[in-house]
Amino acid sequence: MVVVSAARDYINRMLQDISGMKVLILDSQTVSIVSVAYSQSELLQKEVFLVEMVDTISKSKESATHLKAVCFLRPTSENIQFLRRQLANPRFGEYHLFFSNMLKDTQIHLLADSDDQEVVQQVQEFYADFVALDPYHFSLNVPSNHMYMLPAVIDPSGLQHLCDRVVDGIAALFLALKRRPAIRYQRTSDVAKRIAHESAKLMYQKESGLFDFRRGELSPLLLIIDRRDDPVTPLLNQWTYQAMVHELIGIQDNKVDLRGIAKASKDQQEVVLSSEQDAFFKLNMHENFGDIGMNIKRMVDDFQQVAKSNQNIQTIEDMAKFVENYPEYRKMHGNVSKHVTLVTEMSKLVEERKLMLVSQTEQELACNGGQVAAFEAVTNLLYNESVSDIDRLRLVMLYALRYEKESPVQLMQLFNKLSSRTAKYKPGLVQFLLKQAGVDKRTGDLFGNRDFLNIARNMARGLKGVENVYTQHQPLLFQTMENIIKGRLRDVDYPFVGNHFQQGRPQDVIIFIVGGTTYEESRSVALQNAVHTGVRFTLGGSVVLNSKRFIRDLEEAQRIAKSSTNVV
Amino acid sequence: MATRNRTLIFRKYRDALKSVRIPTSSSSSSQQPLSSASTSSSTRDGRGGGPVIELVSTSLLNPNRSYAPLSTEDPGNSSKGALTVGLPPAWVDISEDIAANVQRARTKMAELAKAHAKALMPSFGDGKEDQRTIEGLTHEITGLIKKSEKKLQRLSAGGPTEDSNIRKNVQRSLATDLQNLSMELRKKQSTYLKRLRQQKEGQDGVDLEMNLNGNRSRIDDEDGLDDMAFSDLQMARVKKTEAFTAEREREIQQVVESVNELAQIMKDLSVLVIDQGTIVDRIDYNVQNVATTVEEGLKQLQKAERSQKQGGMVMCATVLVIMCFIMLVLLILKEILF
Repeated sequence: MVVVSAARDYINRMLQDISGMKVLILDSQTVSIVSVAYSQSELLQKEVFLVEMVDTISKSKESATHLKAVCFLRPTSENIQFLRRQLANPRFGEYHLFFSNMLKDTQIHLLADSDDQEVVQQVQEFYADFVALDPYHFSLNVPSNHMYMLPAVIDPSGLQHLCDRVVDGIAALFLALKRRPAIRYQRTSDVAKRIAHESAKLMYQKESGLFDFRRGELSPLLLIIDRRDDPVTPLLNQWTYQAMVHELIGIQDNKVDLRGIAKASKDQQEVVLSSEQDAFFKLNMHENFGDIGMNIKRMVDDFQQVAKSNQNIQTIEDMAKFVENYPEYRKMHGNVSKHVTLVTEMSKLVEERKLMLVSQTEQELACNGGQVAAFEAVTNLLYNESVSDIDRLRLVMLYALRYEKESPVQLMQLFNKLSSRTAKYKPGLVQFLLKQAGVDKRTGDLFGNRDFLNIARNMARGLKGVENVYTQHQPLLFQTMENIIKGRLRDVDYPFVGNHFQQGRPQDVIIFIVGGTTYEESRSVALQNAVHTGVRFTLGGSVVLNSKRFIRDLEEAQRIAKSSTNVV
Repeated sequence: MATRNRTLIFRKYRDALKSVRIPTSSSSSSQQPLSSASTSSSTRDGRGGGPVIELVSTSLLNPNRSYAPLSTEDPGNSSKGALTVGLPPAWVDISEDIAANVQRARTKMAELAKAHAKALMPSFGDGKEDQRTIEGLTHEITGLIKKSEKKLQRLSAGGPTEDSNIRKNVQRSLATDLQNLSMELRKKQSTYLKRLRQQKEGQDGVDLEMNLNGNRSRIDDEDGLDDMAFSDLQMARVKKTEAFTAEREREIQQVVESVNELAQIMKDLSVLVIDQGTIVDRIDYNVQNVATTVEEGLKQLQKAERSQKQGGMVMCATVLVIMCFIMLVLLILKEILF
């Protein structure tokens, strides 16, 4: 059930049967899909000597009929138009078309119409329609993610777009895994319900032939939940390597863009952080910041040893050995400097924004602590000059989410202080968040204070003390996963779609979060999978969030909601 | 891994639509004179491709020939569309040469491995012939690698054309192959030399011991008599050790030479080869880079165009033309008034 290998298998199959020099034609979405799973050197080995984007192929007039074109595109109407234009004046000798999802008959008709030179050799559907970031984590890179927060009446076509993309991605995932799932969704979320029903209709009715795999083992479970059920996780500051890099700098498709940082050397402007290609990263991606520091120091020491022995060339054998080991040495050098640059930059940011202080309060707000102490802490930080605007906003949001009902007066005080301190963020944003994800809207027990059992558990944890104050938060997803393993996921809260009830516990569970996942949650999933409880989890979302992205989505949604009410 | 093949439906639609469309007459395409040397089996389809290749004469006259696409018909399909794969540009020949060299070098490496194993086995003979075969093979392989490396440099072209990207990528992949090959050669050589040295040292150690004992016994015998003059036996021994050292020196010289050569090649190649796992190995990075360099080129061109337009030259020229017209008008006026 590993999503990266599923994507790689598809690409391998695309390229293996076509001999000769090839061109790979991609669109803006499939370029991400292919880039995370396949490297440029592997493409060169398969004789793909050129990669182009579909929107620019018709601009060039150079004809290269000795090349065979392998097109891997999403079946959108724009791509079909580009293809039609290209097929009318083909630049390449042969065209092999692969689409990442199901084609409509009208689209095939249009393509056949423009292929009067008969250059198309095959038209296939290869369902690699998701970006496989890590073995158990995928994303869909949906551009208009904020739509999920708005009710359907405001922008029905935008919401339809989002739902279609999500349903396509989910369908492609299950076709790649050759399974048909039983679907459950979060009852309180309209968008989750809609996506669940549309997926079920696609898999069980419209294309039931395509999805009709042998039902040897138990069906896997697809659980569709809403980001707004756990708004706390994207707002928290992170202290484990992968999550921290995304939170402080930003990871896109396993690439980190360091160009904004003045000190980065020329070959470290953009770096790749992929667990498949970097062994050090694979071991350390879920470790917390202190441990990473030590491991990096160890790696640097090892490297310095190697470098010193390389400088000590006295005999010819040493010279020969140096020449032999040079590529390894270079690779190690690149890797070491990449990690050192990242950690240095993150330390600098932690120092500048006083994140140790801020994060301590955040964790208190998220996990435990009394209301009075929390109010004081937040107020102090609001007055602290070195705390940045976005951190202030986050603190007020967390406080509001936690103590929404307990003391409205103090909440108003905080709002006033926030608006007096930051010019950019208005308290209206916090209120919008509460309207979207307030305590009435949430299903799960986010703060562990609804269920008696949870309260008891929390008290026990508080008495025992925690290992690390900064990583004490467990995302709500963790509880959901535990409930699934124990078979205690309530039907009332997470009903089934249709009558495909499941007997017994599922062995494979795909959890899809509409609105986006976070790397903290993917870490939770990876750690859970490592425990071998007999259930394997895979996590997917419409995007991968950090606090900046989440707040931006809120702002977008708020703006659209406000403008639509003005119109009305 | 589920897939669905839509080619059949596509072909069905395509054929149906083709029969509906007005058939384009094949005779309307411009007829170009067929050279007598053209291949007899080529026919034209409705596309009216370019002129058929003129074979032998052109290729001898133009070393930089570029092929026009030749349309051939798949002998199996008579009525359906022809499979048109054009002939590649000239530089592909170079890349195929290099690939063939790499293949040849690989087979020779296998032979070399066998020769190494044979030479290391203890034998009664001198082992000189084995040495010679090994030397010969090593030289051949190094020669092949060097030749391929020189040809590889020729592949790089100037100008940001479409073609140059493909050339660069072909270069990269061949460079990776060459680098792997030279590294393999280095490793094989070093293990062979190491084992050889171990063997020789075993022999040498025994010899040296004998020499030492021998010397001691000699000195004991002839201590007073002739310390200055060397006896015949000692001369022979000295010559033997000299021969050994000479041979060792030659071997070391060889190793140094080959190390130098290969180091040079590695240096050149490492610039071309992609480091795996870095940003340069990402497909989206390369696609973006191409786009930005082309855009940059376009911007530079536009800037140049603009600066040319605004240049002083254009101003001067326009001013002069206007002056000419004014003078002409004045002249006519002068004629009229007088």
